[in-house]
Amino acid sequence: MKVSFPHMGCVTGYKRLMEKLGHEVIMPERPSQRTMELGAKYSPEFICFPFKVMTGTYIECAEKGAQLIVSSGGNGPCRAGMYPDVHQKVLQELGYKTEVMVFDNMFKDFSAFVKTAKRLMNGTNIFKTAGIAAYVYALVKKMDKLEKRLKIIRAYEVNQGDFSKAWKNIVSMFEKTNTIRDVNRTYKKALEIFDSIPCREVKEQERIRVGIVGEIYVIMEPTVNKNVEEILNSLGVEVENVQYISDWVEHNVIPKWLPFPKSHRVFKSSDKVSPINCGGHDKENMGWVFDFAKRGFDGVVHLMPFACLPELVNLGKFPAVSKELNMPIISLSLDEQMGEAHVKTRLEAFSDLIKSKHFSKQQPTSGNVADSFENAARKVGTKVDKVKENLQTSPAKPEYQAK
Amino acid sequence: MKYYLGIDIGSVSTNVIAMDKDYNVCFNQYIRANGQPLESVKKGMTKLKEAIGCSDDDILGIGTTGSGRELAGVLVGADVIKNEITAHATATLHFHPDASTIFEIGGQDSKIIILQDGMVTDFAMNTVCAAGTGSFLDHQAERLGVPIEHFGELALTAEKDVRIAGRCTVFAESDMIAKQQYGFSKAEIIKGLCTALVRNYINNLARAKKLKPPFIFQGGVAANVGIRKAFEDEVGEKVIIPKYFNVMGAIGSAILAKEYIEENNIEKPNFKGFEQLELEFKPTSFECNGCSNMCEVIRVISSDNEVLAVWGDKCGKYAGTSKASQTSGR
Repeated sequence: MKVSFPHMGCVTGYKRLMEKLGHEVIMPERPSQRTMELGAKYSPEFICFPFKVMTGTYIECAEKGAQLIVSSGGNGPCRAGMYPDVHQKVLQELGYKTEVMVFDNMFKDFSAFVKTAKRLMNGTNIFKTAGIAAYVYALVKKMDKLEKRLKIIRAYEVNQGDFSKAWKNIVSMFEKTNTIRDVNRTYKKALEIFDSIPCREVKEQERIRVGIVGEIYVIMEPTVNKNVEEILNSLGVEVENVQYISDWVEHNVIPKWLPFPKSHRVFKSSDKVSPINCGGHDKENMGWVFDFAKRGFDGVVHLMPFACLPELVNLGKFPAVSKELNMPIISLSLDEQMGEAHVKTRLEAFSDLIKSKHFSKQQPTSGNVADSFENAARKVGTKVDKVKENLQTSPAKPEYQAK
Repeated sequence: MKYYLGIDIGSVSTNVIAMDKDYNVCFNQYIRANGQPLESVKKGMTKLKEAIGCSDDDILGIGTTGSGRELAGVLVGADVIKNEITAHATATLHFHPDASTIFEIGGQDSKIIILQDGMVTDFAMNTVCAAGTGSFLDHQAERLGVPIEHFGELALTAEKDVRIAGRCTVFAESDMIAKQQYGFSKAEIIKGLCTALVRNYINNLARAKKLKPPFIFQGGVAANVGIRKAFEDEVGEKVIIPKYFNVMGAIGSAILAKEYIEENNIEKPNFKGFEQLELEFKPTSFECNGCSNMCEVIRVISSDNEVLAVWGDKCGKYAGTSKASQTSGR
């Protein structure tokens, strides 16, 4: 079957997975101007930006003859949970026979998960599938690891553009891998490539670090967020993104009572400021902001699609949180009409701000981050007990969710 | 005499200033660009040369800022290309070291900058809306048939308050027409507009920020006394308008250029000379067909067919094909 998927994060991983399972892959293009125009034209006007971009991608894939589009689901009140159904409807109305298939949280409905998985397995037996999964997981994990490193060292490159070019090479190298051993070999080679690129030497105390939080799609797809990471890197700022596919899978597959991955603890650490998850990643992002402050980061860039509800909730809390943690936070709301110059000017000013703060060292960062976080919670005015009480008295499954 | 130059290329105006080593502004000019930023840079530089009578060797460094900073930076050979926020804050801190809040309203954008102990601690720029900027006032002044220069003074003569919806230019306009038809005077409506603009500005930019005096108000719109009055009413404090309020960005970039050159002990600035400005620069654009992005790539070509700068490509295909690519960015 001709299979496709949204362009998000480490697409090489999805591509190899589908190929190994014996499907023909219709590779989605990097979202371009045309993708966004198509998406904006055929999506409901007030839907979030990621939906529009994905609609565009799906239409492009359908044009190329994709029969099945595999996507992940969402849960909670965020609109992401309805994406697949609405996408399906849009494609149908345009006359495409493409089917949109969704992987929902397997702990909620295991039988549905097995059903979708079986279809994708395409007759491959369970042991072979496990082998393929292990290979793909290793691939994605290693590529994500390299990408994390890239976003740190690219800040110090001597000739602008060296690392981005090298990264393109590395991605195509990984596309040719076949086994876990290949992956490891390529990983080593990639590290060598990184090491061979000339970099400036920077002292430890002169390094400027910025964390990126926000809605998962816009922070993972550089073409959608106007290359925020590359712009920051070109200003000599190290970037750490909080979302990677391998981390997302671990967060969703590994049970919460286990000590790893870190994201579970991060999720919980925001309890005071965000007692409940409003859908999307708002609670998690608040936890990451807290985590960045603990690790002494210089600032946080918050990216959100225009009118994204969960991130709007965070947007309202950030001024107080940023003040208490003594860490600047800049929010950028993205949509299809935004120009790159607009993002660049703000990021440039933001990097000037955090740099002057870093080098002046007038105010040592507050001694106890946990205390400041608690103060922030008080300022935001979240009445933790009250929210929890309300949650207990409200029905476990609201009517609209019960089928 | 030796000079540092600052150029601010905004959406509506192009400002050129010259500053000596002791931060004295020797020349300043505010030019309405009328959509011809490159032409007005040339015009400003020629006037500058005539006014202070300097030669190429007298220029120690140049800084550019504003939305056209990159293009102008290539044109004149700038040493520092900086964003507007840093430039404005630098200039304000020079003239008013104790400033804590800067209101800046320009033609297409408006910003608020919060300072503490001589450092920018927070800032905001308007996002998607033109209400609350100079263009809004320009447009309404034209509609009412009042020259923009007298707009503010007229507002001060108003006796009554009229509330005009300032959330959006479109709403404001229809509200304004309605109020006209109720029989309010021009002065009252103009006053209402000034208040609406300030209300919108504060709502959009100052969200959840604590505004502390001293307040500084700069940018082209600061010439408007009506807006200044509206700001004073809103914050309940005196609002200071700096002497060079309309060229603060340019002054800031000159100061940044000076700091940069002195810090790095640069002896020969990038300045290309006044003669170079006489030459023709051709900004051309073409659509790249490399992928489905169809980027509009802008290329600046000098008269001897040398590519001076290229930008607009999303993939970095043209990076490094021009002279400017190595210097800009960092």
